Amino acid sequence: MLRSEKKSLMRFLLIYLGSTFLLFSLASWVFYQYQRHQLIDQQRNALKYEAQQIKTQLHKLHESSDPQLFYPVHPPFASSIYDIDKNYIFGTIKGVHLLEESNYMKDETQLYYLDKVEPYFLGAAFLLVSKTLDTKSIVKLQEMMVWFMLGAGVFFALLGYFLGKLFIAPMRDSIKQMNQFIQDTTHELNTPISTILTNIEMLETFGKCQKSNELRRIEIASKTLSRIYDDLTYLNLNHHYHRHIECLDVSGIVRERAVFFSSMIEAKGLTLHLDIDPGVMLEMDRNDLVRLMDNLISNAIKYNKIKGLLHISLTREYFRIADEGIGIKEQDMENILHRFKRANNSEGGFGIGLDIVNQVVSSYGFVLSIKSKVQKGTEVEIRWEK
Amino acid sequence: MGKITGIFILLCTLVSAENNMGPDKKQLQKDCLECHQKQQIPNEMVYRRYLSIYSTPVRIKEAMVAYLRNPQKEYSIMPPQFFLKFPMKENLNFEDERLIKDVELYLDAFDIKKKLTL
Repeated sequence: MLRSEKKSLMRFLLIYLGSTFLLFSLASWVFYQYQRHQLIDQQRNALKYEAQQIKTQLHKLHESSDPQLFYPVHPPFASSIYDIDKNYIFGTIKGVHLLEESNYMKDETQLYYLDKVEPYFLGAAFLLVSKTLDTKSIVKLQEMMVWFMLGAGVFFALLGYFLGKLFIAPMRDSIKQMNQFIQDTTHELNTPISTILTNIEMLETFGKCQKSNELRRIEIASKTLSRIYDDLTYLNLNHHYHRHIECLDVSGIVRERAVFFSSMIEAKGLTLHLDIDPGVMLEMDRNDLVRLMDNLISNAIKYNKIKGLLHISLTREYFRIADEGIGIKEQDMENILHRFKRANNSEGGFGIGLDIVNQVVSSYGFVLSIKSKVQKGTEVEIRWEK
Repeated sequence: MGKITGIFILLCTLVSAENNMGPDKKQLQKDCLECHQKQQIPNEMVYRRYLSIYSTPVRIKEAMVAYLRNPQKEYSIMPPQFFLKFPMKENLNFEDERLIKDVELYLDAFDIKKKLTL
Protein backbone atom coordinates (compact mmCIF):
# COMPACT_ATOMS: atom_id res chain seq x y z
CA MET A 1 0.00 0.00 0.00
CA LEU A 2 1.34 3.42 -0.94
CA ARG A 3 2.02 6.08 1.67
CA SER A 4 -0.65 8.44 0.30
CA GLU A 5 -3.09 5.53 0.09
CA LYS A 6 -2.42 4.63 3.73
CA LYS A 7 -2.85 8.25 4.75
CA SER A 8 -6.20 8.54 2.95
CA LEU A 9 -7.42 5.26 4.43
CA MET A 10 -6.36 6.29 7.91
CA ARG A 11 -8.10 9.67 7.58
CA PHE A 12 -11.27 8.02 6.31
CA LEU A 13 -11.21 5.44 9.11
CA LEU A 14 -10.57 8.13 11.69
CA ILE A 15 -13.53 10.23 10.58
CA TYR A 16 -15.81 7.25 9.97
CA LEU A 17 -14.98 5.41 13.20
CA GLY A 18 -14.88 8.63 15.23
CA SER A 19 -18.35 9.72 14.12
CA THR A 20 -19.74 6.18 14.46
CA PHE A 21 -18.23 5.87 17.93
CA LEU A 22 -19.71 9.20 19.00
CA LEU A 23 -23.14 8.28 17.66
CA PHE A 24 -23.06 4.82 19.24
CA SER A 25 -21.78 6.15 22.54
CA LEU A 26 -24.63 8.65 22.67
CA ALA A 27 -27.25 6.05 21.73
CA SER A 28 -25.77 3.52 24.17
CA TRP A 29 -25.71 6.10 26.96
CA VAL A 30 -29.38 6.95 26.41
CA PHE A 31 -30.27 3.24 26.25
CA TYR A 32 -28.20 2.49 29.37
CA GLN A 33 -29.82 5.31 31.35
CA TYR A 34 -33.29 4.18 30.29
CA GLN A 35 -32.59 0.54 31.22
CA ARG A 36 -30.98 1.56 34.51
CA HIS A 37 -34.05 3.58 35.45
CA GLN A 38 -36.23 0.62 34.55
CA LEU A 39 -34.21 -1.66 36.82
CA ILE A 40 -34.31 0.84 39.68
CA ASP A 41 -38.05 1.35 39.17
CA GLN A 42 -38.55 -2.42 39.49
CA GLN A 43 -36.81 -2.30 42.86
CA ARG A 44 -38.87 0.75 43.87
CA ASN A 45 -42.04 -1.18 43.05
CA ALA A 46 -40.81 -3.92 45.38
CA LEU A 47 -40.44 -1.26 48.09
CA LYS A 48 -44.01 -0.08 47.48
CA TYR A 49 -45.31 -3.63 47.73
CA GLU A 50 -43.37 -4.14 50.95
CA ALA A 51 -44.85 -0.91 52.34
CA GLN A 52 -48.36 -2.23 51.67
CA GLN A 53 -47.52 -5.48 53.44
CA ILE A 54 -46.16 -3.65 56.47
CA LYS A 55 -49.20 -1.36 56.62
CA THR A 56 -51.48 -4.39 56.72
CA GLN A 57 -49.42 -5.84 59.54
CA LEU A 58 -49.41 -2.53 61.41
CA HIS A 59 -53.20 -2.58 61.27
CA LYS A 60 -53.23 -6.05 62.79
CA LEU A 61 -50.76 -5.02 65.49
CA HIS A 62 -52.83 -1.95 66.28
CA GLU A 63 -55.82 -4.15 67.04
CA SER A 64 -53.87 -6.83 68.84
CA SER A 65 -54.17 -7.22 72.58
CA ASP A 66 -51.02 -9.32 72.89
CA PRO A 67 -48.64 -8.18 75.63
CA GLN A 68 -45.81 -8.02 73.04
CA LEU A 69 -46.24 -6.61 69.56
CA PHE A 70 -43.69 -7.94 67.09
CA TYR A 71 -42.76 -5.29 64.54
CA PRO A 72 -42.76 -6.78 60.99
CA VAL A 73 -39.22 -7.34 59.67
CA HIS A 74 -38.72 -8.81 56.20
CA PRO A 75 -35.10 -8.84 55.06
CA PRO A 76 -33.66 -7.46 52.81
CA PHE A 77 -36.09 -4.65 53.54
CA ALA A 78 -35.71 -2.31 56.47
CA SER A 79 -38.48 -0.07 57.73
CA SER A 80 -39.44 2.41 60.41
CA ILE A 81 -42.56 4.21 61.48
CA TYR A 82 -42.80 7.92 62.30
CA ASP A 83 -45.51 9.99 63.93
CA ILE A 84 -47.33 12.93 62.37
CA ASP A 85 -44.50 15.30 63.42
CA LYS A 86 -41.99 12.95 61.72
CA ASN A 87 -40.53 11.73 64.99
CA TYR A 88 -39.17 8.20 65.03
CA ILE A 89 -41.44 5.69 66.75
CA PHE A 90 -40.01 2.26 66.03
CA GLY A 91 -38.32 0.21 63.34
CA THR A 92 -35.07 -1.02 61.89
CA ILE A 93 -33.99 2.25 60.25
CA LYS A 94 -32.56 4.70 62.73
CA GLY A 95 -31.07 8.17 62.45
CA VAL A 96 -32.59 8.99 59.08
CA HIS A 97 -33.99 12.42 58.47
CA LEU A 98 -37.24 12.13 56.53
CA LEU A 99 -37.42 14.01 53.24
CA GLU A 100 -40.49 15.34 51.48
CA GLU A 101 -40.22 13.08 48.41
CA SER A 102 -41.82 9.67 48.45
CA ASN A 103 -39.06 8.05 46.36
CA TYR A 104 -35.41 8.84 46.77
CA MET A 105 -31.96 7.34 46.76
CA LYS A 106 -29.00 8.08 49.02
CA ASP A 107 -25.31 7.58 48.16
CA GLU A 108 -26.42 5.84 44.93
CA THR A 109 -26.72 2.64 46.97
CA GLN A 110 -29.75 2.92 49.25
CA LEU A 111 -33.32 3.13 47.99
CA TYR A 112 -36.02 4.70 50.17
CA TYR A 113 -39.78 4.80 49.89
CA LEU A 114 -41.82 6.99 52.19
CA ASP A 115 -45.51 6.14 52.49
CA LYS A 116 -48.33 7.73 54.48
CA VAL A 117 -50.25 5.64 57.01
CA GLU A 118 -53.89 6.44 57.59
CA PRO A 119 -55.39 6.00 60.13
CA TYR A 120 -52.29 6.26 62.31
CA PHE A 121 -51.90 2.61 63.28
CA LEU A 122 -49.65 2.44 66.35
CA GLY A 123 -49.44 6.22 66.03
CA ALA A 124 -47.55 5.95 62.73
CA ALA A 125 -48.34 8.65 60.18
CA PHE A 126 -45.35 7.78 57.97
CA LEU A 127 -43.75 4.54 57.02
CA LEU A 128 -40.24 4.53 55.61
CA VAL A 129 -39.12 1.42 53.76
CA SER A 130 -35.55 1.01 52.58
CA LYS A 131 -33.50 -1.47 50.64
CA THR A 132 -29.91 -1.63 49.44
CA LEU A 133 -29.84 -1.16 45.69
CA ASP A 134 -29.29 -4.51 43.99
CA THR A 135 -26.44 -3.63 41.67
CA LYS A 136 -26.11 -7.10 40.13
CA SER A 137 -28.60 -6.36 37.38
CA ILE A 138 -27.01 -2.94 36.74
CA VAL A 139 -23.51 -4.44 36.56
CA LYS A 140 -24.88 -7.06 34.16
CA LEU A 141 -26.35 -4.28 32.05
CA GLN A 142 -23.00 -2.43 32.08
CA GLU A 143 -21.19 -5.59 31.00
CA MET A 144 -23.71 -6.09 28.22
CA MET A 145 -23.18 -2.49 27.06
CA VAL A 146 -19.39 -2.93 27.03
CA TRP A 147 -19.67 -6.15 24.99
CA PHE A 148 -22.13 -4.47 22.65
CA MET A 149 -19.80 -1.48 22.17
CA LEU A 150 -16.84 -3.80 21.60
CA GLY A 151 -18.81 -5.91 19.11
CA ALA A 152 -20.10 -2.83 17.32
CA GLY A 153 -16.59 -1.33 17.35
CA VAL A 154 -15.05 -4.41 15.73
CA PHE A 155 -17.91 -4.67 13.22
CA PHE A 156 -17.72 -1.01 12.20
CA ALA A 157 -13.91 -1.06 12.12
CA LEU A 158 -14.01 -3.98 9.68
CA LEU A 159 -16.81 -2.39 7.70
CA GLY A 160 -14.92 0.91 7.63
CA TYR A 161 -11.74 -0.81 6.50
CA PHE A 162 -13.50 -2.54 3.59
CA LEU A 163 -15.42 0.61 2.69
CA GLY A 164 -12.22 2.63 2.82
CA LYS A 165 -10.45 0.14 0.58
CA LEU A 166 -13.41 0.31 -1.79
CA PHE A 167 -13.37 4.11 -1.88
CA ILE A 168 -9.63 4.45 -2.47
CA ALA A 169 -9.59 1.72 -5.10
CA PRO A 170 -9.97 4.22 -8.02
CA MET A 171 -7.17 6.37 -6.56
CA ARG A 172 -4.97 3.29 -6.12
CA ASP A 173 -5.62 2.23 -9.72
CA SER A 174 -4.75 5.72 -11.01
CA ILE A 175 -1.51 5.79 -9.02
CA LYS A 176 -0.69 2.28 -10.17
CA GLN A 177 -1.30 3.26 -13.80
CA MET A 178 0.77 6.41 -13.41
CA ASN A 179 3.63 4.48 -11.83
CA GLN A 180 3.45 1.88 -14.55
CA PHE A 181 3.50 4.61 -17.17
CA ILE A 182 6.53 6.29 -15.57
CA GLN A 183 8.26 2.92 -15.31
CA ASP A 184 7.60 2.10 -18.96
CA THR A 185 8.54 5.59 -20.14
CA THR A 186 11.79 5.67 -18.22
CA HIS A 187 12.64 2.21 -19.47
CA GLU A 188 12.01 3.28 -23.07
CA LEU A 189 14.00 6.51 -22.57
CA ASN A 190 17.06 4.78 -21.19
CA THR A 191 18.31 3.28 -24.44
CA PRO A 192 18.13 6.42 -26.66
CA ILE A 193 19.66 8.64 -23.94
CA SER A 194 22.53 6.25 -23.40
CA THR A 195 23.06 6.03 -27.16
CA ILE A 196 23.18 9.82 -27.55
CA LEU A 197 25.59 10.29 -24.63
CA THR A 198 27.87 7.46 -25.82
CA ASN A 199 27.99 8.85 -29.34
CA ILE A 200 28.81 12.37 -28.12
CA GLU A 201 31.73 10.93 -26.16
CA MET A 202 32.83 8.89 -29.21
CA LEU A 203 32.65 11.99 -31.37
CA GLU A 204 34.88 13.82 -28.87
CA THR A 205 37.32 10.92 -28.56
CA PHE A 206 37.55 9.44 -32.03
CA GLY A 207 36.15 12.19 -34.24
CA LYS A 208 38.76 14.54 -32.79
CA CYS A 209 36.42 17.36 -33.51
CA GLN A 210 36.05 20.51 -31.45
CA LYS A 211 32.80 20.64 -29.47
CA SER A 212 30.52 22.91 -31.40
CA ASN A 213 27.77 24.84 -29.55
CA GLU A 214 25.16 22.60 -31.13
CA LEU A 215 26.94 19.49 -29.88
CA ARG A 216 27.29 20.99 -26.39
CA ARG A 217 23.59 21.78 -26.30
CA ILE A 218 22.80 18.21 -27.32
CA GLU A 219 25.09 17.01 -24.53
CA ILE A 220 23.40 19.23 -21.94
CA ALA A 221 19.93 18.18 -23.05
CA SER A 222 20.92 14.54 -22.98
CA LYS A 223 22.43 14.84 -19.49
CA THR A 224 19.29 16.57 -18.26
CA LEU A 225 17.22 13.75 -19.70
CA SER A 226 19.57 11.23 -18.17
CA ARG A 227 19.24 12.85 -14.75
CA ILE A 228 15.45 12.93 -14.95
CA TYR A 229 15.56 9.28 -15.91
CA ASP A 230 17.74 8.51 -12.87
CA ASP A 231 15.45 10.46 -10.55
CA LEU A 232 12.32 8.77 -11.80
CA THR A 233 13.93 5.35 -11.55
CA TYR A 234 15.11 6.18 -8.04
CA LEU A 235 11.63 7.21 -6.92
CA ASN A 236 10.02 4.26 -8.63
CA LEU A 237 12.34 1.67 -7.13
CA ASN A 238 12.85 3.39 -3.82
CA HIS A 239 10.94 0.83 -1.77
CA HIS A 240 12.34 -2.24 -3.51
CA TYR A 241 15.90 -1.03 -3.96
CA HIS A 242 18.57 -2.81 -1.96
CA ARG A 243 21.07 -0.24 -0.73
CA HIS A 244 24.74 -1.09 -0.71
CA ILE A 245 26.22 0.89 2.16
CA GLU A 246 29.92 1.54 1.77
CA CYS A 247 32.49 4.09 2.82
CA LEU A 248 32.36 6.75 0.12
CA ASP A 249 34.84 9.47 -0.74
CA VAL A 250 32.32 12.34 -0.75
CA SER A 251 34.99 14.89 -1.77
CA GLY A 252 35.76 12.91 -4.92
CA ILE A 253 32.10 12.35 -5.78
CA VAL A 254 31.25 16.06 -5.38
CA ARG A 255 34.12 16.97 -7.72
CA GLU A 256 32.97 14.29 -10.16
CA ARG A 257 29.38 15.62 -10.17
CA ALA A 258 30.65 19.17 -10.64
CA VAL A 259 32.48 17.98 -13.74
CA PHE A 260 29.32 16.17 -14.91
CA PHE A 261 27.42 19.46 -14.71
CA SER A 262 30.29 21.57 -16.12
CA SER A 263 28.73 21.88 -19.57
CA MET A 264 25.49 23.21 -18.02
CA ILE A 265 27.44 25.60 -15.79
CA GLU A 266 29.38 26.87 -18.79
CA ALA A 267 26.24 27.20 -20.90
CA LYS A 268 24.69 29.49 -18.26
CA GLY A 269 27.92 31.39 -17.77
CA LEU A 270 28.06 30.63 -14.07
CA THR A 271 31.14 31.09 -11.93
CA LEU A 272 31.76 27.94 -9.91
CA HIS A 273 33.48 28.17 -6.55
CA LEU A 274 34.47 24.80 -5.22
CA ASP A 275 35.50 24.80 -1.61
CA ILE A 276 35.96 21.10 -0.92
CA ASP A 277 37.91 19.67 2.00
CA PRO A 278 39.78 16.57 0.90
CA GLY A 279 39.12 13.18 2.41
CA VAL A 280 35.49 13.66 3.54
CA MET A 281 34.19 10.09 3.93
CA LEU A 282 30.65 8.90 4.63
CA GLU A 283 28.97 5.51 5.04
CA MET A 284 26.31 5.69 2.34
CA ASP A 285 24.85 4.08 -0.73
CA ARG A 286 26.54 5.59 -3.77
CA ASN A 287 23.31 6.06 -5.71
CA ASP A 288 21.73 7.90 -2.77
CA LEU A 289 24.68 10.29 -2.55
CA VAL A 290 24.75 10.89 -6.31
CA ARG A 291 20.99 11.61 -6.40
CA LEU A 292 21.41 13.98 -3.45
CA MET A 293 24.27 15.91 -5.08
CA ASP A 294 22.80 15.90 -8.60
CA ASN A 295 19.48 17.31 -7.49
CA LEU A 296 21.00 20.05 -5.36
CA ILE A 297 23.57 21.02 -8.04
CA SER A 298 21.08 20.93 -10.92
CA ASN A 299 18.57 23.03 -8.93
CA ALA A 300 21.27 25.57 -8.11
CA ILE A 301 22.20 25.77 -11.82
CA LYS A 302 18.62 25.80 -13.08
CA TYR A 303 17.34 28.55 -10.78
CA ASN A 304 20.58 30.62 -10.77
CA LYS A 305 20.75 33.87 -12.70
CA ILE A 306 22.83 34.01 -15.90
CA LYS A 307 26.49 34.64 -15.11
CA GLY A 308 25.71 34.19 -11.44
CA LEU A 309 27.83 32.59 -8.75
CA LEU A 310 27.58 28.95 -7.74
CA HIS A 311 29.33 28.16 -4.50
CA ILE A 312 29.77 24.57 -3.40
CA SER A 313 31.48 23.81 -0.12
CA LEU A 314 32.11 20.52 1.59
CA THR A 315 33.60 19.86 5.02
CA ARG A 316 33.49 16.97 7.48
CA GLU A 317 30.48 18.71 9.11
CA TYR A 318 28.38 19.82 6.18
CA PHE A 319 27.73 20.15 2.48
CA ARG A 320 26.55 23.58 1.37
CA ILE A 321 25.47 24.89 -2.02
CA ALA A 322 24.55 28.52 -2.64
CA ASP A 323 23.31 30.29 -5.76
CA GLU A 324 22.38 33.81 -6.72
CA GLY A 325 19.10 32.87 -8.32
CA ILE A 326 15.45 33.79 -8.02
CA GLY A 327 15.09 32.39 -4.50
CA ILE A 328 11.99 30.91 -2.88
CA LYS A 329 9.06 32.86 -1.44
CA GLU A 330 8.56 32.50 2.29
CA GLN A 331 5.05 31.05 1.90
CA ASP A 332 6.41 28.34 -0.45
CA MET A 333 9.13 27.23 1.96
CA GLU A 334 6.73 25.00 3.95
CA ASN A 335 5.79 22.78 1.01
CA ILE A 336 8.97 22.96 -1.03
CA LEU A 337 10.07 19.47 0.07
CA HIS A 338 6.83 17.79 -1.01
CA ARG A 339 6.73 15.73 -4.18
CA PHE A 340 5.45 17.46 -7.34
CA LYS A 341 5.67 20.84 -5.55
CA ARG A 342 7.45 23.55 -7.47
CA ALA A 343 7.99 27.02 -6.13
CA ASN A 344 8.69 28.38 -9.58
CA ASN A 345 7.42 27.19 -12.93
CA SER A 346 9.78 29.28 -15.03
CA GLU A 347 12.12 26.29 -15.42
CA GLY A 348 11.31 22.75 -16.47
CA GLY A 349 11.06 19.80 -14.09
CA PHE A 350 8.59 17.67 -12.20
CA GLY A 351 9.10 18.90 -8.68
CA ILE A 352 10.66 15.65 -7.51
CA GLY A 353 14.24 16.89 -6.89
CA LEU A 354 13.85 18.20 -3.34
CA ASP A 355 11.57 15.29 -2.49
CA ILE A 356 14.44 12.93 -3.32
CA VAL A 357 16.85 15.13 -1.33
CA ASN A 358 14.48 15.05 1.65
CA GLN A 359 14.09 11.27 1.44
CA VAL A 360 17.85 10.69 1.39
CA VAL A 361 18.46 13.19 4.20
CA SER A 362 15.72 11.61 6.35
CA SER A 363 16.83 8.03 5.78
CA TYR A 364 20.43 8.83 6.81
CA GLY A 365 19.46 11.13 9.68
CA PHE A 366 21.13 14.20 8.22
CA VAL A 367 19.84 17.71 8.91
CA LEU A 368 18.62 19.76 5.98
CA SER A 369 18.21 23.53 6.13
CA ILE A 370 17.24 25.94 3.37
CA LYS A 371 17.74 29.68 3.53
CA SER A 372 16.41 31.76 0.70
CA LYS A 373 15.73 35.35 -0.25
CA VAL A 374 13.68 36.24 -3.29
CA GLN A 375 15.89 37.60 -6.12
CA LYS A 376 18.97 37.18 -3.88
CA GLY A 377 19.57 33.45 -3.92
CA THR A 378 19.18 30.21 -2.06
CA GLU A 379 21.51 28.36 0.24
CA VAL A 380 20.97 24.69 1.00
CA GLU A 381 22.94 23.08 3.77
CA ILE A 382 23.11 19.45 4.80
CA ARG A 383 24.77 18.68 8.09
CA TRP A 384 26.08 15.15 8.46
CA GLU A 385 25.40 15.09 12.18
CA LYS A 386 23.08 12.32 13.44
CA MET B 1 -54.78 -26.22 106.62
CA GLY B 2 -53.04 -26.02 103.23
CA LYS B 3 -55.96 -24.01 101.77
CA ILE B 4 -55.85 -21.51 104.63
CA THR B 5 -52.12 -21.04 104.14
CA GLY B 6 -52.61 -20.51 100.40
CA ILE B 7 -55.30 -17.85 100.91
CA PHE B 8 -53.13 -16.14 103.49
CA ILE B 9 -50.17 -16.00 101.09
CA LEU B 10 -52.38 -14.62 98.28
CA LEU B 11 -53.80 -11.89 100.50
CA CYS B 12 -50.31 -10.99 101.70
CA THR B 13 -49.11 -10.74 98.08
CA LEU B 14 -52.02 -8.49 97.09
CA VAL B 15 -51.51 -6.22 100.07
CA SER B 16 -47.78 -6.05 99.45
CA ALA B 17 -48.36 -5.32 95.72
CA GLU B 18 -50.63 -2.42 96.57
CA ASN B 19 -48.14 -1.13 99.09
CA ASN B 20 -45.32 -1.42 96.50
CA MET B 21 -47.28 0.65 93.89
CA GLY B 22 -45.62 4.03 93.25
CA PRO B 23 -47.45 7.28 94.03
CA ASP B 24 -48.03 7.91 90.27
CA LYS B 25 -49.63 4.54 89.76
CA LYS B 26 -51.72 5.02 92.87
CA GLN B 27 -52.93 8.38 91.55
CA LEU B 28 -53.80 6.86 88.17
CA GLN B 29 -55.54 3.94 89.81
CA LYS B 30 -57.51 6.21 92.07
CA ASP B 31 -58.40 8.97 89.61
CA CYS B 32 -59.04 6.89 86.48
CA LEU B 33 -58.74 3.18 86.48
CA GLU B 34 -60.92 2.37 89.49
CA CYS B 35 -63.97 3.82 87.77
CA HIS B 36 -62.96 2.40 84.37
CA GLN B 37 -62.67 -1.05 85.90
CA LYS B 38 -66.07 -0.73 87.58
CA GLN B 39 -67.70 0.37 84.33
CA GLN B 40 -65.63 -2.16 82.35
CA ILE B 41 -64.34 0.51 79.99
CA PRO B 42 -61.66 -1.00 77.69
CA ASN B 43 -58.67 1.29 78.38
CA GLU B 44 -56.48 -0.26 75.72
CA MET B 45 -59.12 0.28 73.04
CA VAL B 46 -59.68 3.90 74.08
CA TYR B 47 -55.93 4.59 74.00
CA ARG B 48 -55.51 2.93 70.57
CA ARG B 49 -58.41 4.91 69.16
CA TYR B 50 -56.84 8.17 70.32
CA LEU B 51 -53.50 6.97 68.96
CA SER B 52 -54.93 6.18 65.53
CA ILE B 53 -56.41 9.65 65.26
CA TYR B 54 -53.83 11.92 66.94
CA SER B 55 -50.59 9.98 66.39
CA THR B 56 -48.39 11.74 68.99
CA PRO B 57 -48.66 11.71 72.81
CA VAL B 58 -48.72 15.52 72.88
CA ARG B 59 -51.71 15.70 70.52
CA ILE B 60 -53.49 12.86 72.35
CA LYS B 61 -52.94 14.61 75.66
CA GLU B 62 -54.43 17.86 74.32
CA ALA B 63 -57.47 16.02 72.95
CA MET B 64 -58.03 13.98 76.15
CA VAL B 65 -57.66 16.98 78.44
CA ALA B 66 -60.09 18.95 76.26
CA TYR B 67 -62.64 16.11 76.51
CA LEU B 68 -62.20 15.55 80.24
CA ARG B 69 -62.77 19.24 80.93
CA ASN B 70 -66.02 19.01 79.01
CA PRO B 71 -67.09 15.36 78.78
CA GLN B 72 -69.76 15.46 76.10
CA LYS B 73 -70.40 13.36 73.03
CA GLU B 74 -69.43 16.13 70.60
CA TYR B 75 -65.98 16.44 72.21
CA SER B 76 -65.38 12.71 72.19
CA ILE B 77 -63.77 10.72 69.43
CA MET B 78 -65.41 7.47 70.52
CA PRO B 79 -68.07 5.98 68.21
CA PRO B 80 -71.79 6.54 69.10
CA GLN B 81 -72.16 2.83 69.96
CA PHE B 82 -69.62 3.34 72.75
CA PHE B 83 -72.02 5.63 74.57
CA LEU B 84 -74.83 3.15 74.20
CA LYS B 85 -72.78 0.56 76.01
CA PHE B 86 -71.00 2.75 78.54
CA PRO B 87 -72.44 5.56 80.69
CA MET B 88 -71.62 9.18 79.85
CA LYS B 89 -68.66 10.41 81.82
CA GLU B 90 -69.27 12.80 84.68
CA ASN B 91 -67.25 15.97 84.99
CA LEU B 92 -64.27 15.25 87.24
CA ASN B 93 -63.79 18.85 88.31
CA PHE B 94 -60.08 18.22 88.82
CA GLU B 95 -57.57 21.01 88.82
CA ASP B 96 -55.73 21.43 85.50
CA GLU B 97 -52.45 20.25 86.89
CA ARG B 98 -53.96 17.07 88.29
CA LEU B 99 -55.95 16.41 85.15
CA ILE B 100 -52.90 16.80 82.91
CA LYS B 101 -50.83 14.61 85.21
CA ASP B 102 -53.56 11.91 85.14
CA VAL B 103 -53.67 11.96 81.35
CA GLU B 104 -49.88 11.75 81.16
CA LEU B 105 -49.91 8.78 83.55
CA TYR B 106 -52.68 7.14 81.53
CA LEU B 107 -50.75 7.57 78.27
CA ASP B 108 -47.58 6.27 79.84
CA ALA B 109 -49.36 3.24 81.25
CA PHE B 110 -50.68 2.19 77.87
CA ASP B 111 -47.78 3.47 75.76
CA ILE B 112 -47.56 1.18 72.75
CA LYS B 113 -43.82 1.75 72.30
CA LYS B 114 -43.25 -0.30 75.42
CA LYS B 115 -44.98 -3.27 73.81
CA LEU B 116 -43.26 -3.09 70.47
CA THR B 117 -40.38 -5.43 69.88
CA LEU B 118 -38.38 -6.67 66.91
